[in-house]
Amino acid sequence: MSLFSFLGTLEIGFIFGLVAVGVYLTFRVLDFPDLTVDGSFTMGAALAAALIVGGINPYVATLCAALGGAAAGMLTAWLNLRFNILHLLASILTMTALYTINLRIMGKPNLALIMEDTVLTPFEALGIPAMYLKLIFVAIVVILVGLMIAYFLNTQYGMGMRATGANPRMAQANGIVVKEKIYAGLALSNGLVALAGALFAQTNGFADSTMGIGTIVVGLAAVIVGESLFNSRSMLVIIFSCIIGSLLYRLAVSVALNADFLGFTASDLNLITAVLVGLALIVPHIRREQKARKAAALGGEA
Amino acid sequence: MIRCEDIKVTFNAGMATEKRALRGVDLEIPQGEFVTVIGSNGAGKSTLLNTIAGDIRSTGGNLFFDDTNVTAVPAAGRTRDVARVFQDPLAGTCGNMTIEENMALAYGRGKRGGLIPALNDDLRDLFREQLKRLNLGLEDRLGAEMGLLSGGQRQSVSLLMSALQPSKILLLDEHTAALDPKTAALVMDITDQIVEEKQLTVMMVTHSMRQALDHGTRTIMMHEGRKVFDLQGEERKQYDVKDLLNLFAKAKGDGEELDDDKLLLGA
Repeated sequence: MSLFSFLGTLEIGFIFGLVAVGVYLTFRVLDFPDLTVDGSFTMGAALAAALIVGGINPYVATLCAALGGAAAGMLTAWLNLRFNILHLLASILTMTALYTINLRIMGKPNLALIMEDTVLTPFEALGIPAMYLKLIFVAIVVILVGLMIAYFLNTQYGMGMRATGANPRMAQANGIVVKEKIYAGLALSNGLVALAGALFAQTNGFADSTMGIGTIVVGLAAVIVGESLFNSRSMLVIIFSCIIGSLLYRLAVSVALNADFLGFTASDLNLITAVLVGLALIVPHIRREQKARKAAALGGEA
Repeated sequence: MIRCEDIKVTFNAGMATEKRALRGVDLEIPQGEFVTVIGSNGAGKSTLLNTIAGDIRSTGGNLFFDDTNVTAVPAAGRTRDVARVFQDPLAGTCGNMTIEENMALAYGRGKRGGLIPALNDDLRDLFREQLKRLNLGLEDRLGAEMGLLSGGQRQSVSLLMSALQPSKILLLDEHTAALDPKTAALVMDITDQIVEEKQLTVMMVTHSMRQALDHGTRTIMMHEGRKVFDLQGEERKQYDVKDLLNLFAKAKGDGEELDDDKLLLGA
């Protein structure tokens, strides 16, 4: 692997770290499997690109992208909470709708940002080579966001959100308005994913209507890789294990694709991902079964 | 004070499965009174409790806390006044959060959660001090996951949690039913302590006639969605489990034999 592709892998790994944190918020914190992210990632990229091409300040454009993603998340939450549509189905509906909306936002299937200003433009004067600058910028943004989310999950509000996912009845008995927390959680999660999309578009120089396909699986893969490496109750450790999981996942995929003797090509990526995620889900399950069997053999003294 | 005025609850109204769980309950519980509620399965005890908590919306009648009509207030909005402990030890706590996090949640009951850290060292000291009362050694395990505790330990912590924040009303829904006798006695002991200390208005649903008479200041019996008798004061002191059983048989109808095993066993 060349240095250039290594740095590029890390950069994408950090960007998808935001996706992983977003997926962690819905799947793990709220226990609300949300597939909206496939659409909100693209939406973030599409909004940022369209606004930048339209002459808007890249920072304002990025903020709008995150807000757009948050709105998409709230739509999913509304479909689920107001009309009792199953969470997975509600998120698939939003994701499908977003495909069209994203095409409308961009006006065409893809937008190039090569010659435009981006969030990186103010830092180009520092004279750092672009491939380092992009990585450093993305890493700093993702680490800051990670710190903020970890702090948030330990606040009164954030802890209420965790209780909502863990035990809604108990949460309610302690005065937590469960629905409000689900709205807020889905908005936050999809806002982060859209921010990742906006950063991706600006560091890679384009937005494409199909770029979000598979975002959920990659995010989930990162969460699971992170969880299997670190076992902690600390929110800070958990959030950063999502980000580290994303980096490791990207590196693993990149190594698999670069190792000629394995014979993988880029088009094999989805199968590799599915197998990795599948294994990460199957192994803990089998371990639990073995543990339960052992406990049962000991006469149920657990 | 809790005042129920002709509270009615009907499930699945208009359908074949229609169930009239509460058929007009009038009840006034003054501040500081500890009421025990007995009755057979399906009598409406838990429905009454859940209606007061706000989990179940009444289909008729009015509910007052002090002089405020709370009939239309959702459950989360009533938690400034109401604390509760569930029958299922797993229901009152979050298994994948730590003891201190669970207690911090309960400490924030009825307040609007802000963006300041939910835990700090002062709170941890308070939690430790409270946990010492249980004599279970939990004060040294604040950071342990709730899911690692036994059912009895979890229920004891739930009970402490219900008293962390001042409330006027404590609702106990057979909160010792799922525990072994020794733990149940411990939990009841702490219940009495907390109630005494905080001068709470308490409503405790129980299946045990013994428990219903030994604790609290007043006993009511529910049957088929109605309050069938109300024992208090001197009269209550003279009652024994056997008298209660007789009353119960009378309530069920003339000559009918008492067939509820659980009530007999609980006695």
